[in-house]
Amino acid sequence: MSAAWLLIPLYLVPLVSHNEVLLTILIFTYILGILAIGFNIVFGYAGQLTMFHGAAFGIGGYATFLILSKLGISFWLAMLPMFALVLILSMLVGWVCFKFRLREFYFAVVTLAFAELIRLVVLNWNDVTNGTLGLLVLDKPTIWWPGGGVIKIDGTVPWYLMTLTALGAVTVASQLIVRSWIGRNFAAIRLNEELAQTLGINTFRYKMLAFTISNLFAALAGALFGFYSNYIEPAQLSITQSLDAIAMVLLGGMGSILGPVVGAFLLTGLPHVIEFSAELRAATYGAILILVILLMPRGVVGLFSRWRHVS
Amino acid sequence: MFLEVDALSKRFGGLVAVAAISLQIEEGEIVGILGPNGSGKTTLLNLLAGLLTPSSGTILWQGRDISGTKPDLIAALGIVKTFQNPQLFAELSVLEHVMIAGHLALKRLLGFARSKTIFAPKSARQELEARAERVLRLCRLSEGAQRPAAALSYGEEKMLGVAMAMMCEPKLLLLDEPASGLGQAEITNLGAVLRDLREHGTTLCIIDHKVAFLAEFAHRLIALQNGNKIADGTAQEVLGNQSVISAYLGRQHVGA
Repeated sequence: MSAAWLLIPLYLVPLVSHNEVLLTILIFTYILGILAIGFNIVFGYAGQLTMFHGAAFGIGGYATFLILSKLGISFWLAMLPMFALVLILSMLVGWVCFKFRLREFYFAVVTLAFAELIRLVVLNWNDVTNGTLGLLVLDKPTIWWPGGGVIKIDGTVPWYLMTLTALGAVTVASQLIVRSWIGRNFAAIRLNEELAQTLGINTFRYKMLAFTISNLFAALAGALFGFYSNYIEPAQLSITQSLDAIAMVLLGGMGSILGPVVGAFLLTGLPHVIEFSAELRAATYGAILILVILLMPRGVVGLFSRWRHVS
Repeated sequence: MFLEVDALSKRFGGLVAVAAISLQIEEGEIVGILGPNGSGKTTLLNLLAGLLTPSSGTILWQGRDISGTKPDLIAALGIVKTFQNPQLFAELSVLEHVMIAGHLALKRLLGFARSKTIFAPKSARQELEARAERVLRLCRLSEGAQRPAAALSYGEEKMLGVAMAMMCEPKLLLLDEPASGLGQAEITNLGAVLRDLREHGTTLCIIDHKVAFLAEFAHRLIALQNGNKIADGTAQEVLGNQSVISAYLGRQHVGA
């Protein structure tokens, strides 16, 4: 069954509940779910431990807003040059890493270095990015609605529906990719790169593809995040952003289509459920994560699919 | 000339693994390579398959210099190698292995319309599935094709390596000790597979220690010692060659 169908009932949530906290948690779940799905493609399927998705997430927010405000074009139009920028950056970083055949830890460290480089540029380019203070985003995406003309997407319910739709589109796209020959080749690279090469798979090209797709998804999530939270700051492209997405994928279940979304939901919702002081909350959060990784190596989704097999 | 190797060398630091070897392989030929351990047989095949970059010398494949070319491109050009120790995609099923190996065949089927692979056109998929089925039947792996490869016996793992190589539709297949570690029934089966490949016009280059096995299939034998080619000719010529006897067979006779 197609995993994207599982998302359809979620369109009914705003009809059933008007709870702002719940809907907000779900909006952040959907946005961060897109980021986590992207990381899952490059890590869970193609086996490349990137640390660049946090940077792509941040660039998504910054570039979309800066292009939009400098050129005075709409959110959706501004995303196109932003995607082009992320595409070029991904190709550059990917080319360096994969040409030099960096793997595992080395790949992680080098992509992290590139991500830090970009963060430092954003942090110090005061004229454009406003440095540590970040940027206040007052614009909202608009859409053309039959009968209503061009309307602004503002307020919790419209954002809920839009982010859920974006998540649905990303889920369908990632499903098409991983179930195709491209996905098979990703798995081959993850499991035995040398063998994959001798069977004629251009591993360089496929690793570049996985890395780029992951970064484009991350950039989409970053743009949505910035415009929903009305604020873009350098912390959005920090290592923490990358690590959060990794935690979501590990918690939810690596290499399954919706696992990352389940992980995003748990890690977004958990801090609201556990009402401790900030420090204690971070510690609890960390402890839960460590336990999950030790006890459920295939994540929450893996646990359930095992039950299904047994019964 | 199909494959022409000229003064090919490979050095690992101070060790010369392959020392200026020259050889030719004609289309449709079956060439056996023999030599004691450490004589440079596997290194030679790895150089041909692009897994190693030569220190010097050239490899002309159908008139094109392929020395230093990446293995995936060499495979796409038609030279495919199997591994001495079976290399697998551990958690995938037998069928998934051969389907991954069908990647090149799919490329050839779809040509420029490769982007279609995302939507997996039915006709191409069926065609490949039919090929996979034939290859698996030939390699006696069709029973339990859904099994994870981790559940295979050593002999089956080796046959899966051959099956994957066959899915690549090679023009020249390099087999690195395909018979080592196999039981007698499995060797008979391997023989049937090699005969099928020969009938389909695949050129083969086989490394093995079992001289009788090689002599049965090969049109020509090449003997190596310490990275040098010491003999090249028919089985009779090579096995009767004095330096081959002293370097390799002689020592075996003494040991036996």
